[in-house]
Amino acid sequence: MNVLEIRNLTKKFDDFIAVDNMNLSVREGEIFGFLGANGAGKSTTINMVSSLLRTTKGEIELLGRNIAKHPKFAKSNIGIVPQDLAIYEEMTAYENVSFFAGLYGLRGSELKERTIEALDFVGLGDKHKSLPKNFSGGMKRRLNIACAIAHRPKLIIMDEPTVGIDPQSRNYILNSVRKLNRMGCTIIYTSHYMEEVEELCTRIAIVDHGKIIAEGSKEQLKSIITDTKEIWIAVKSEGAVDLESLKRLQGVTAVRLEDQTIKINSKAEINNLNWIIQQLIKDQVEIRSVEEQAPNLETVFLTLTGRNLRD
Amino acid sequence: MNVLHIALHEIKLSLRDKRTFIFMMAFPVVLMLILGTALTNAFTSGATVEGLNLLVRNTASDARLTAAWSGFEQAIAKEGVVAKPIEEGMDGREAVQEDLYTAYAEIGDDGIRFYGSSKHTIESNILQGMLTTFADRYNLAAAAIKAAPSDAEAILGSAGAAGGIVRETTLDPDRKPNSVDYYAVVMTTMIGLYACMSASYLIRGERKRNTMTRLSASPVSKGEIFMGKVIGSSFINSMCVIVVFLFSKLAFQADWGDHYGIVLLILVTEVLLAVSLGLGVSYLFKENSAGAVMNVFVQIASFIGGAYFPLEVMGTSMRVVSELSPLRWANRGLMNVIYFDDWGAAWGAVGLNLAFAAAFLAVSVISMRRREAL
Ligand SMILES: Nc1ncnc2c1ncn2[C@@H]1O[C@H](COP(=O)(O)OP(=O)(O)OP(=O)(O)O)[C@@H](O)[C@H]1O
Ligand SMILES: [Mg+2]
Repeated sequence: MNVLEIRNLTKKFDDFIAVDNMNLSVREGEIFGFLGANGAGKSTTINMVSSLLRTTKGEIELLGRNIAKHPKFAKSNIGIVPQDLAIYEEMTAYENVSFFAGLYGLRGSELKERTIEALDFVGLGDKHKSLPKNFSGGMKRRLNIACAIAHRPKLIIMDEPTVGIDPQSRNYILNSVRKLNRMGCTIIYTSHYMEEVEELCTRIAIVDHGKIIAEGSKEQLKSIITDTKEIWIAVKSEGAVDLESLKRLQGVTAVRLEDQTIKINSKAEINNLNWIIQQLIKDQVEIRSVEEQAPNLETVFLTLTGRNLRD
Repeated sequence: MNVLHIALHEIKLSLRDKRTFIFMMAFPVVLMLILGTALTNAFTSGATVEGLNLLVRNTASDARLTAAWSGFEQAIAKEGVVAKPIEEGMDGREAVQEDLYTAYAEIGDDGIRFYGSSKHTIESNILQGMLTTFADRYNLAAAAIKAAPSDAEAILGSAGAAGGIVRETTLDPDRKPNSVDYYAVVMTTMIGLYACMSASYLIRGERKRNTMTRLSASPVSKGEIFMGKVIGSSFINSMCVIVVFLFSKLAFQADWGDHYGIVLLILVTEVLLAVSLGLGVSYLFKENSAGAVMNVFVQIASFIGGAYFPLEVMGTSMRVVSELSPLRWANRGLMNVIYFDDWGAAWGAVGLNLAFAAAFLAVSVISMRRREAL
């Protein structure tokens, strides 16, 4: 069954179309990745699904029911982890989770148990009496998640839950997401971090300018770009590199320079490695290593949208 | 249940903001102390019982009444009120109008007619109160005479006992507000109005913290969120006001009269008005200006509402302007109940408070429904 079904969804802010006739379905048990550059329309879509924004056009169904006609049902079955932290800094971790869970009708001992369960789940069990204002960024992010799961929603929507945190908290969060998924939750996961999505998600949609431009499993998405290859050339110094002359070479579609590495996207069928190296030698660039990359989501994204995920 | 859940949360949230909370309690108390002691002189010169002149025309033929009256005259003389018999051919009312006397009373077998000075309202009110009490007692005695003459003797006897009649009355000349009494009342009502500042942050704060997202995404209706917040905020602010009220009473022995029910009703409805006002304004003005607007409003309303100095000191135009301040309604209602046992202004204040609260709540609800959650 589809947990979420989005049909012809459009959202306009005055004349600006943030979400443009979007169609999407999320199946039960998936960790569904939502990839898109800044301003692509990810949050806007998510906010319409969680009834925070009105739709301009189109329909959203949750568990087979139209959310506009059954708002209470939809809201009760969704847990949202907002992109911006949404917690009370002056209330303890326990009070935060308990208050939000209480909004879903939990009371008394059940509320207590679920609150503790959610805090334990994100690894804040021993911090339940502490105020979030004394928390690290990662701990706040984890509390932000705990507030969304205590009522055991069927669908959890996470809007960039790992923004700006330490690697340890990030791993903790990624593991919690997997655990939630194993426990039967369907998850929509939005992120700027390609590796996260690649590692975590069973299916991925790439959003650009309010539209879904590609959708499928990692393998499916990567197979879209069998006609492209990516060559990484590590160099000793960036100074002498002339990107423009490389770009003019036959078959080359994009060139960028990151961490003393020239990253070249090129058509797969043209063997232009020789020309590239000759060009670099001519420019007196000292080459340290050359490797051809297996296609990854980053390349897919770049090829499809013509830009990097993180600018 | 959801409303209660949100209200309790709101109360907890307010209690966490210790600085605001302490300010709400300490600020009025400190002002009571400073203003109450510094401005004592303004009050003692304002209206004392000492030197009040009552012009009297006594046409009573009933011997008992005449006897009771002379007892009464002696009693009030001890308090400093001079009762002067009217001379032949003199117009009592004119004499009062010309400011020769504070009040003029005609005592006859059929009752007492009273003409007070419009220039000295407080003083003439005091005299009126004394006379009313005298009349009540005399009537009581007169009724008793028919049934049990011995009881009547006792009642009339006590009328002559100095002080007794005056002290027991609802309008006791000692019970004119001194400066501490005055500031106890006006500071308490002022701090009630301060509730509008925290109320302007009720919804704004949720937006700022971004917790509005979670509230709106939950299955709780907007109406429930709204009700919970208003109830929670009104409760905690009322508690603040009541603490200040009790503190002024117990620590400063401020005079709050004998009718605590109506006193509390005025205070609580005033808080409700303030909360609704703050909330309504937070919808009418852009996100961050609402707080500033409320701040300015509170200052002006306090100033013209008599929070810093008694309005009797001011000219008539100022008094008219002062009617715009909710503090004016509340203060007048309270003073009249406390000192003149007059409930009219009190009910007026309660009515106005509730009416404006309802209007501002309606504004908020309508704006809220129109808005998108984010
Ligand atoms: N309330 C609003 N009014 C006007 N424009 C808006 C509003 N909310 C979003 N937008 C615009 O809609 C577009 C999509 O925004 P959205 O927040 O959905 O992007 P996003 O994919 O979540 O981006 P990010 O990765 O930065 O979070 C952006 O161009 C944004 O400026
Ligand atoms: Mg976003």
